[in-house]
Amino acid sequence: MTQDIIIAGGGRVGFQTAELLAARDEDVTIIEQDDTRVSEIADAWIATVIQGDASDPDILEQAGIEDADTVAALTELTGLNLAICLLATQIADEIRTVARVDRETDGAYDRFVDSVVYPEAAGARAAANKTAGEDVQSLTAVTGDVEILEIRVAEGAPAAGRTLADVAFPAGTLVISGEDGNRISKPDTKLTPGSQYVVAVEPGVVDEVLKLMRG
Amino acid sequence: MSSHDQREPEAELGLLDATMIGMGAMIGAGIFVLTGLAAEISGPAALLVFMLNGVVTAFTGLSYAELASAIPKSGGGYAFVREIFDDFGSFIMGWMLWFAYMIAGALYALGFAPNFLELLHVYGVVAPPDEVGAIMLPLLEVAVPAKFILAFVAVAGLVALNAASTAASGSAETVFTIIKVSILVVFVAFGFFSAGGGGETSFTFQNFDPLFVEGSGPFSILPAMGLTFIAFEGYDLITTVTEEVENPRENIPKAIFISLAATVVVYLLVVTVAIGTLGAEELAAAGEAGIATAATSFMPTGVPIIQNGGALIVFGAVFSTITALNAVVIASSRVAFSMGREGQLLPSIGRIHHRFGTPFVAVLLSAVVMLGSVFLPTQSAGNMSSLFFLLSFIIVNVAVIRLRRERPAMNRPYKIPYYPIPPILAIVSNAILAVVLVGFLVQTDPLALFLSIGWLGAGAVMYVVLNKYRARGTEEEAEVPTDQPVTERTGED
Repeated sequence: MTQDIIIAGGGRVGFQTAELLAARDEDVTIIEQDDTRVSEIADAWIATVIQGDASDPDILEQAGIEDADTVAALTELTGLNLAICLLATQIADEIRTVARVDRETDGAYDRFVDSVVYPEAAGARAAANKTAGEDVQSLTAVTGDVEILEIRVAEGAPAAGRTLADVAFPAGTLVISGEDGNRISKPDTKLTPGSQYVVAVEPGVVDEVLKLMRG
Repeated sequence: MSSHDQREPEAELGLLDATMIGMGAMIGAGIFVLTGLAAEISGPAALLVFMLNGVVTAFTGLSYAELASAIPKSGGGYAFVREIFDDFGSFIMGWMLWFAYMIAGALYALGFAPNFLELLHVYGVVAPPDEVGAIMLPLLEVAVPAKFILAFVAVAGLVALNAASTAASGSAETVFTIIKVSILVVFVAFGFFSAGGGGETSFTFQNFDPLFVEGSGPFSILPAMGLTFIAFEGYDLITTVTEEVENPRENIPKAIFISLAATVVVYLLVVTVAIGTLGAEELAAAGEAGIATAATSFMPTGVPIIQNGGALIVFGAVFSTITALNAVVIASSRVAFSMGREGQLLPSIGRIHHRFGTPFVAVLLSAVVMLGSVFLPTQSAGNMSSLFFLLSFIIVNVAVIRLRRERPAMNRPYKIPYYPIPPILAIVSNAILAVVLVGFLVQTDPLALFLSIGWLGAGAVMYVVLNKYRARGTEEEAEVPTDQPVTERTGED
């Protein structure tokens, strides 16, 4: 089922995140203040845009915070991100919060937000991979556009309980590992609900693969 | 006509393709099927009927343009309303729009059948349509008119096609629409050339005098407007494919306006010729095959290959109704599929088939209602479909106003000019047509009224049952924690 996600801050990080989530068919709303950024996001046609300051409760409400599943505060300012997440929790008790930070926090924010992301660390890992040579690549920074995903098969999904030979995945998909990553997949590998599989997917068909494996 | 699920990532639709999708749906069958029926109700004033409907529907077109430019979703009217209305409001919108498309499917199938018989008749394969007898069904031992069997077979065939394959594409629709429009242009040209020919069915403006049917004033056009409103629903279809259109925030509003304007022009020319040549009375008598009958009366005979020039127009009618039927088979299943994905129908309706990659359950469910509805009288199908489109469009216009009030900061690349006048005019005019149509149904078509109320009642029951079902699901999930976040909304928010 589609998740309802609010992204505060439509800069480079916020925009790229929105793009990845929209490709997975999630329902994304972006809050952004800057005129130029707003029209750039509108051109990309990935999310509804609310123009304004995300730390303003009225703007958060216009973004539909009360019904949202997750809010990700991804502006450049750690303090602002924290404030947005705290405000969101005040308005909508059950909401999941994700804050972007600019340094290692070692769990300091865990009491206040559900997750933190440190994009600079991920960027550094990608840079290290490139610099050190191409023999060793971390999963999160594959070259090119192919995404390597670890997907847990959902109960009741169209592909659940079927063998790979039975399911017609769209072209551009490769199920790499068998059940829980212990073996390489074979045609008779069964897609057991609850188990995880490593799958290589081209960006255009990510949503379709997820519909088959997640329902 | 593909949706997001079946698109090849590189397939992009340009402004022309998007415009043609809208025109294809509108010029598709409405003009061929409904002209005769409109003439029956309001005589030569059928011309005014189509013109005024074009004006009324343009207001809603503006609302669709604003919503489509601001909300990047491919679900059409349902997706927009889902954005701002609570659970019940968006559910009933989806429920009504789904029904409108399914009944439209039945209407187009019923328009296809007599035109197909007419085409066979032109080539001498069968007797004239009204003389084709009923066909005995060996197992049931009842006689069913050939028309119903043809309509049934057409729906079943297209449903099977769409359930098992995702081959239908927007670019094919462009070619189809150009063929349809070209055929109508030929029709209009020959119709006007026949003026002054002195023949019995030569074009003459005397056929427009008196404009209104005797004994009834200008208000007699209102029920006819209600009935034929469905002929303008194409812009909802454009907004079901926005994701595939390049530069959508500019091209979608443009496509909506161009397709609407071009359609109104084509309609007016075609209706003028049909009434000017055949006269309103004979047009009415020909019913669903009205345009085809008009064409056979003045088109030249002895043309190479096709022999009779009229056959070209009859072919146009057959082709248009069948492609429009295909479009609404897809559209109706997409509405149900979106509702399933949003958790507003059973989750299995929102899943794609593991092998075909199509919204299999949604297609089959839509097919059941369509197949059941081909046994309705054509007029009842037109009435019901129009009524539900009118009601759905009222909700879409309310959604525009609510979004402006509650989310003023929302980025709107296209804004309705002179807001709030157009959406208010749209709500008022659609409401008037809906009320007149209901009044008309009370007097002349209790079956359609009964079925409409029945569908709304079934919707209310479905909503309550589904909420109970979901409440149970949420409890179970609370007991057995999974990694899947609970995204269902419970109750009204």
